[in-house]
Amino acid sequence: MSDLYRDLSDAVTAGNTETTKKLVNQALAERTGAQTVLERGLLPGMHVVGERFRSGEMFVPEVLFAARAMRAGMEILRPLLTETGGEATGTVVIGTVQGDHHSIGKNLVAMMLEGAGYRVVDLGIDVTPQTFVQAVSEHKPDIVAMSALLTTTMLRMAETVNALKDAGMRDCVKIMAGGAPVTDEFVKNIGGDGYASNAGAAVDKAKELLGR
Amino acid sequence: MNTGFRSQVVPEYRLLTENQIQEFHRAALEVNEKIGARINSEEGVELLKQHGCTVTEGNMVLIPNYLVEECLASAPSRIDIYNRKGEEAMHLEGRNIYFGLGTDLINSYDVYTGEMRPSLLKDAANASRVTDYCSHIDFVSSYALPHDVPTNTAYVESVKTMFENTVKPIFSTAAGLEDLKFIVEMAETVVGGADELRVKPCLIHYSEPTGPLVHSYGAVRKLFYCADKGLPITYAPGDLLGGSAPVTLAGGIVQALAEVQAGIVLHQLRRKGAPIISGWAVVPMDMRTCTLSYGAPEFRLTNSAYSDIFHWYGIPMWSTVGSDAHVFDEQASMEHAFTTLMAALDGANLIHDVGYMGQGLIGNPAMVVMCNEIISYVKRLMRGFEMNREMMAIEEIRKVGAGGTHLAEEYTMKYFKQELWDPALSNRDDIAVWKQKGSCTYSHKVVHKTMEILETHRPEELPGDVKDKLGAIAERADKELAGIHFVA
Ligand code: B12
Repeated sequence: MSDLYRDLSDAVTAGNTETTKKLVNQALAERTGAQTVLERGLLPGMHVVGERFRSGEMFVPEVLFAARAMRAGMEILRPLLTETGGEATGTVVIGTVQGDHHSIGKNLVAMMLEGAGYRVVDLGIDVTPQTFVQAVSEHKPDIVAMSALLTTTMLRMAETVNALKDAGMRDCVKIMAGGAPVTDEFVKNIGGDGYASNAGAAVDKAKELLGR
Repeated sequence: MNTGFRSQVVPEYRLLTENQIQEFHRAALEVNEKIGARINSEEGVELLKQHGCTVTEGNMVLIPNYLVEECLASAPSRIDIYNRKGEEAMHLEGRNIYFGLGTDLINSYDVYTGEMRPSLLKDAANASRVTDYCSHIDFVSSYALPHDVPTNTAYVESVKTMFENTVKPIFSTAAGLEDLKFIVEMAETVVGGADELRVKPCLIHYSEPTGPLVHSYGAVRKLFYCADKGLPITYAPGDLLGGSAPVTLAGGIVQALAEVQAGIVLHQLRRKGAPIISGWAVVPMDMRTCTLSYGAPEFRLTNSAYSDIFHWYGIPMWSTVGSDAHVFDEQASMEHAFTTLMAALDGANLIHDVGYMGQGLIGNPAMVVMCNEIISYVKRLMRGFEMNREMMAIEEIRKVGAGGTHLAEEYTMKYFKQELWDPALSNRDDIAVWKQKGSCTYSHKVVHKTMEILETHRPEELPGDVKDKLGAIAERADKELAGIHFVA
């Protein structure tokens, strides 16, 4: 059994989705609880990924593949976990603000958050403050994440925060913002909650803001 | 090259064979015909439909091959650019190379304090003055995105500053069509009218499609506006290998070429023969940090590829140099040397981002001064040497004879300046003299030269009435652009 967990965690680290699914099913068939499969198989695999990425041994596409394998495993476990109270980490609504078409950084942040177990609703690029407000009322996220690469469109971030205030939704969410010209100070000034300079740091910041 | 009695030996470099060029061309045609381009502009889609394109789901417009080839043919093979005073400055054609700065750097170094901080309007002014002084830099760009002017007039104010601080041609972006109109009005005012600007353009507008395969409403509007005005426009995609484009170099090249072709179709259908400059930045994304790399060798390869392709098309092209270093150091020097040399060997015409640091986010006027010397070196290299009976000097060898010296000969006097490069700042002193002069590093000399230029170089002033008119346009822009949202 302990070999099975090691194989499972290796499969996650290697980003091998099919093997991960197979081993999760095998573990469940051996009457192991879903929580145990998660804690002894999937999570240790992702933990290794996190460490290797930080130490420069792993590349981003490899991390994303590992996250995909993790998600595939979670999909099998989730229905069983809800019974025992296992919840997704949180929901994030993300978008590049109005007037801005830079999508690469935003996509990366979205993928890394998904990899860390968040449910991500990606509104795309050129997202107006109204669209953010609508998405918040529809998806009830824990975090609103905005991206801007242009100095002109950074102003739309402040407008989005204000629109959320006007809609009475500001206090229901944490607000994160990033992109090349954005700074920590700027995010504080517009009344946001968190800034991160890259996708990895964005995940850490989300965890910090939500405490999970 | 041998033209009878005269022959010039020059370095030559090509990446692609003619067959490979044609294969890339056909692959991009296939993308445009089978996958299409997303045109987020009704006016654009209408125009394409009228010319036989099919519109499929999600505004994907399928462009038939013949239309692409017709538009490639009608795009001009040469574009002349003038300076502010109406004098010829650049002939963008063939393998002519011209160098200039890049736009919109968010951070700038202050050469006096050595500190990096958010860019100010004076950084654009300094870059323009340094460019005006540097004889190997052919055109200017803002090199800064000023944070001390209202955000919506940052581009207008930068262009005004460039006109005030250099006579050289200007390469500029704009936030949207809204501010581009003011920028063009300034250029028209400087040269004496709209017709004058059309005949002798001293301004090139820089715009881009949004990879993968999207042409935004704003980008199409700017393409059409420039076509109507006859204003030269660079329409070059910026695609990240493994980010917004396939990770393979050949895949990135095909996607970017398809995007360029679609842009040329839109532009040429709007007005046949209007001046357009091609090119792309197919840049690797670092797979550890996910930042993009300006200094990377792969970027040079994709640049070489399009240079060969656009030479084959006969369409002038833009190119990019630059560095990923965040400080003026050895990496910055190394990457600028390589990228400058490669762009020259490519025979790319409008080579921009001279002095760019920090992956397109940092400027430093000292970098521009160093690049001036790198370009000077590279231009000397590219000039090669003449080879004929006189230059092969058999008579001279006979005359000086065995054991003689050439230093005080007529022949040396006649040719040494033409043959031998004379660096402005690189060390050529012997060790003792170098020590006497203070054992200076190269960067130390460059920084001091930069200060000297900033303190002593006086660019030719704009005529007083023109200066006033530009001031009035900027004031009007400030009022009309305040609070608007640029349509992207
Ligand atoms: C690629 C690129 C483009 C591509 C975008 C393609 C696409 N599909 O996204 C194209 C060619 C379309 C483009 C267009 C333009 N661009 Co551009 N572009 C870039 C470039 C070179 C790289 C951006 C990038 O993708 N980086 C890689 C990604 C992974 O990094 P990132 O975006 O910074 O994201 C990371 C972090 O910032 C952070 N992050 C990002 N978002 C968020 C959100 C949250 C919540 C958090 C926590 C973190 C976070 O995490 C990300 C991952 O690590 C930058 C230069 C640069 N180095 O930033 C210029 C740059 C951003 N562009 C610039 C400009 C001026 C333009 C144009 C106006 C140019 C023109 N002539 O038209 C247009 C504008 C179009 C529009 N309306 O949006 C300027 C902006 C200056 C400014 N501040 O105003 C820059 C800085 C270049 C320059 N110096 O000139 N561009």
